[in-house]
Parts: sequence; C-alpha cells; structure tokens
Amino acid sequence: MKKILLVVIMCLCIAAPAFALDGNEMLKKVDRNLNPESYELYRKLINIEPDGSKKEFVMYAVKKGKEKMASVFLSPASEKGRSTLRIGENMWLYIPNVGKPIRITSLQSVTGGVFNNSDIMRLDYSAEYNCEKVEAIDEGYILHLKAKTNAVAYDRVKMWVYGKRLLPDKTECFAASGMLIKTLYFKKIKDFGGGIVRPAVIETDSPLYQGYKSIMIFAKMKAKDLPDEVFTLNYMSKVEGLR
Amino acid sequence: MQLSLCRLCFFIFIFISIPGFTYAEDENLDTIDLDFEIPEVEKKPYSFKTEFKISETIKRLDNDSLIYHQRYPDGKEDDTLYQTDLNLKVEGSYQISIVKLYARLNGDLSYNDDDNWEHDRQTEEAYVSLLPSPSVTLDVGKKVLKWGKGYAWNPVAFFSRLKNLEDPDATLEGYYVATGDFIKSMDGVLKTIALTPVILPVSRDINDDWGTERETVWGGKIYFFAFDTDLDIMFLSGEEDEDKFGIDFSKNITVNFEIHGEAAIVPDYVKDKTDQQGNLTEKKYDAKNYLLGIRYLTSYDTTYIFEYFRNGQGYTSDEMEDYFTLIEDGYQEYRNSQSMAKISKSRQYGSRFYNRQTVMKDYLYLKVSQKEPFDILYFTPSVTCLYNMNDKSSSIMPQITYTPITNLEFELRTTFFFGKDHTEFGEKINDCKIYTSVKYYF
Repeated sequence: MKKILLVVIMCLCIAAPAFALDGNEMLKKVDRNLNPESYELYRKLINIEPDGSKKEFVMYAVKKGKEKMASVFLSPASEKGRSTLRIGENMWLYIPNVGKPIRITSLQSVTGGVFNNSDIMRLDYSAEYNCEKVEAIDEGYILHLKAKTNAVAYDRVKMWVYGKRLLPDKTECFAASGMLIKTLYFKKIKDFGGGIVRPAVIETDSPLYQGYKSIMIFAKMKAKDLPDEVFTLNYMSKVEGLR
Repeated sequence: MQLSLCRLCFFIFIFISIPGFTYAEDENLDTIDLDFEIPEVEKKPYSFKTEFKISETIKRLDNDSLIYHQRYPDGKEDDTLYQTDLNLKVEGSYQISIVKLYARLNGDLSYNDDDNWEHDRQTEEAYVSLLPSPSVTLDVGKKVLKWGKGYAWNPVAFFSRLKNLEDPDATLEGYYVATGDFIKSMDGVLKTIALTPVILPVSRDINDDWGTERETVWGGKIYFFAFDTDLDIMFLSGEEDEDKFGIDFSKNITVNFEIHGEAAIVPDYVKDKTDQQGNLTEKKYDAKNYLLGIRYLTSYDTTYIFEYFRNGQGYTSDEMEDYFTLIEDGYQEYRNSQSMAKISKSRQYGSRFYNRQTVMKDYLYLKVSQKEPFDILYFTPSVTCLYNMNDKSSSIMPQITYTPITNLEFELRTTFFFGKDHTEFGEKINDCKIYTSVKYYF
C-alpha cells in the first residue's frame, strides 16, 4: 500500500510542473526569446512560385514596445522607399510616388505571396493573443492561442514550442471559421549576438496558395531604443534614415 | 497609322507572353541561400532610383461630340490618334549629417500621329531638409504636399495640384514652399500630435500658378492620432487667394473595413460662368466641398474603394448646359458664316474653367480590384467607374497590372465614356482610350 502511495505521490510531483505552467507567461517568454521588446533588424522575403521562380524583397525594420513597428523596403528598386507603420492594429503604407500614407489592413500583403502584413509587421504574440490552453507533448508544448480582439489577423493560433529555450517550432494560423489559413515553420536557430538566439528563418505555406511558399530570413537583429516620434505618419518617409 | 498598329501589336504580344518569363528562373527551394548580403548595409550618403517607361496611347475620337467640334470645327481626317511616350524619372538624395538634399526629375519624349516629336522636362521636387531630430524636420524648396485621405479626390489638398483620376497614384509636381514637421508622441488616448506649417511665396518667377502679384500664402495642418483615428485640421490664407479651411479623418472600423472623409470650405469663392451668348459673369458664394469614402477588403482579396464627392466649386447642370449651348451655337455659326467668334470664346472658357475633370457638383467613384486571381502572383485586374450624379454620365476603366519579374511592370487600361448629349462624359472628345505601358526600375 505504501508503495502504491509513493508511486502516486511521485506521479503527482512529476505532473505538477506541467499543471503549474501559466500559458500566458509562457507566451511572454516565447516573445522575449524571439526578440527584445525594442529592436532593429534586416529581413529578406522570398516568394517562391510552384515553377520555382522567385521574387525577393529586403527590408529594414524597427520595433518599440508592445505595439509599435516601422519598416522600409531597401530593394528591389521598384519597392525602394516604401514604408509601413503599425501601431497596435492600425497599419499604414507610404508609397513615395503617392506621397502620403494610406491605411492598410493586416490581411493584405505589401509584398504579395503567402506572408500578409500581419506576418511581416509582427508584434509580440502576447500583445495580440491569450493562451487558452497548454498541451504537454513529448518534445515540448502546444500553446492554443485565441485572438484578444476581432481586429487580429488570425482568430486562433496553435503554436508548437520545443526545447529548453522555449522557441516556437511551428504555428498553425486559423480563421474564425476554423479554416487553416497558413502554417509557419521556424528554422535555423542562430546566435545574433547580445543574447539573442532565435530561428533565423521562417517558412510558410498555405492551403489557399497551393504550391506557393514564402520565406523570411532574419539578419542583424539587435536591441535598439528609439524615440516614439519615429512611429508616426509624419516620419514614414524618413524611416530609412534610422539605419 | 500602320506603324502605330505594329507598335500596339508589339505591346500586346509582350503582354500576353509575360507568363513565359516566369519560367526563366527555375530554382529549387533547397538551393536557396539562407544567408544573405544586406544591400548598402554600410550606409551611403547618396541614393538613386530610376524609372524608365515606354507607353502607347490610342484615342478614338468621338466626332459627334461638342468638344470635338470645338477643337476641330473642320473635322479631322483620322478619327484615331496614336501617341508613343518615352518617360524617364530619376530621383536622388544626398545626406550629410542633419542636412539632406532630394530631387526628382521627370523627362518625357513623345511621338504622335502628325509625325511630331515633342519633349518636356520637369523638376517635380527639389528641396533641402534639415533633420535635427525625429521630432523636427524643416524643408525648403520645391516639394509636393499631399494632404487628405481620399483616394480619387482630395478637397483638403490646399497646396497640391489636382490628381489625374485615371492614375491617382502618379507623381505630381510640387510648389516652392518652406515647410516642416513638429511631432510629439504621448502615452494615453491622444498618441500623436504633429504640426505642419507652410509658407508659399508667389511672384512672377515662382509659383505663378497662384498669381503674378507678389504675395505670401500661409497655411498649416495639425494631425492628431487618437482613438485609433487619424484626424487633420488644415487651413490656407493669402492676400490674393481665397482662404480655405478643412478637416479630414480616417479610421478602421474592422480589420478589413476603413472609412475616410474630408470637408473643406472656401469662403467667398468666386466662380466664373458663361451664358449661352458667351458673356462671362462671376458668382460669389461660400463653397463647401466634401468627400466620404470606404475601403473594404473581402476574404477573397477583392478590394472595394467607394467614394462620394461633393464639389461645391463645380458647375450645376444648367451652367454646363449654357456652356455646351455656347459651343453648339458657335459650331453652327462657324458652319454657316465661317465666324470663329463664339467658338474661340468657348475654347478660351474651356481651357480656363470647363474642360477639366470633375467639373460638376456630385460624383461617385468605385474601384474594384482583385489581388492575384487564379493564383497568378503580382497580377491585379481592376475596374474603375466614375459616375456624374448630376447629368448621369459615366466613365468605365478596366485595368490590368502585372509585375512578373522584379523591377518590371506592365499595365494595360482602357477607358470608355458613356452619356447623352450635353453631358460631361457624353461630350468628351474621345469615346474610348487605350493605354499600355512597360515600366522598368533600376
């Protein structure tokens, strides 16, 4: 009888850490492991068509706090100087020819392809989602995320988090109807310096774009503090000057 | 004309063979280099961007329309006009410390049916900026100031030229101004406030579109971002020019539904109008211009842009009827007595007041565009409809843009005009227009 009791107690002790996990705290840790709260980085986006042909874009981006992000295209020449600004769920696009910012939505894509603006101008997951459930699996956890408001691009996200570093391995993004919109794969963990160790590549595919793929490659990510005035409509034409 | 038809065939051939280009780069996903060189990571003080465009425009003349009779009272042998344009746009900037120089130059060489070569060059923008901090910017020189939230019209764009309704995103020529931005960001409900003052000097040498008497036009705009809403309040004041006051806003109601609006008042606006005999009179009143619009994106990536524009400075149906009658009578007079008196007068009024876009009071604008249909990346077909609510005439413009290869863009658009006699679009000189272009950026 004592042996049975001991086994039950041991089982409870082993299981306890899993039950003690707060999903939202875990999500915040995932966010901080992916990037500092305020940073700058360079990104290359590659859209690949079923025949293998591809189109590439290079961007410079800065983020501050939980809800502010700005980016500017450095190449190709046709896109150079286009900048985007995000404050919470508000997004704007500045096209040099047009000469004034226009509102855009997170569902559109400034580059075409599978990544939409919400993927390209990603804020912290914990700023947009609540973790409703943590599911322990052999290699780690699955976080079941629900959008905080209906202004968020994906209603639900299922995030596979593996390893000691609490970094995402894969996310599945769902519409409110339950339809799978896309899957993001986080690959090639890299040391960016300054304590930032995170996947350097995000690959995505979508059942809505059969045979198409988009890839985002991260480079030169580092913590950077910027004044709030950088994240305003009046500053959109000058974002490249921050480099 | 045969040469021009060949040119058209050439463009169409290029257009329909575009998908072929996409097979040129066949690269397996596994071979993609996941490390990449950042272009210009060592920031250079200078930057250049060039855009080269070749385009063909075909216009079919409506030889029953009054504007046709006004321009060609003796008729024209050929009722189709062709024009080829070569356009080069170069922009560059140079920055030393907090001083930045910027210029955009536009050169155009065109060849038309009459075997005429014409050229035009323009400095669209050329200014110097002082950038002491992200909160403060000062600009002096020729600069475009595009104010307003509307897509097709901007009644509050007090310091810019009118947009081309067939291509609202095209670059414009600026005016010589001294301006700046003073930005303050805050925590709380009001997140941003920004002030943009403007001084525009007028003389015979600069900004002569505004008049020839020496004067200084003042203006300004205050921008607020609060409650997830953009809000601007602006004004313009001059000794010779009419004062103007305006307000605009835009807001996302949901993630895929945006509303925007603009309103402007021009106190003591003076409108020149003609009677049927060609006597010009002035009418003074407070003109109120406003615009309401939406932008809606469906789950199928179809974007709808819909706007209503009230042009308080425009002409009523009766006033336009007087102008059309003047042309009609002038044309009959010319046919009967070879007298050009009335028709010359109508030409003069046409170029100064009447033969412009959005000349009447109430308009609707609808643009429907579909992003990448049939899984064709970077391909966007669209249809734009412009409807004159006063005389029930309209124009419809189907359009295709395609950028299959990096830095190469193709465009094809056609415009059809519909309307009865003595209506704005019914009396346009063309009844159909085709425009095709190939643009390369480097």
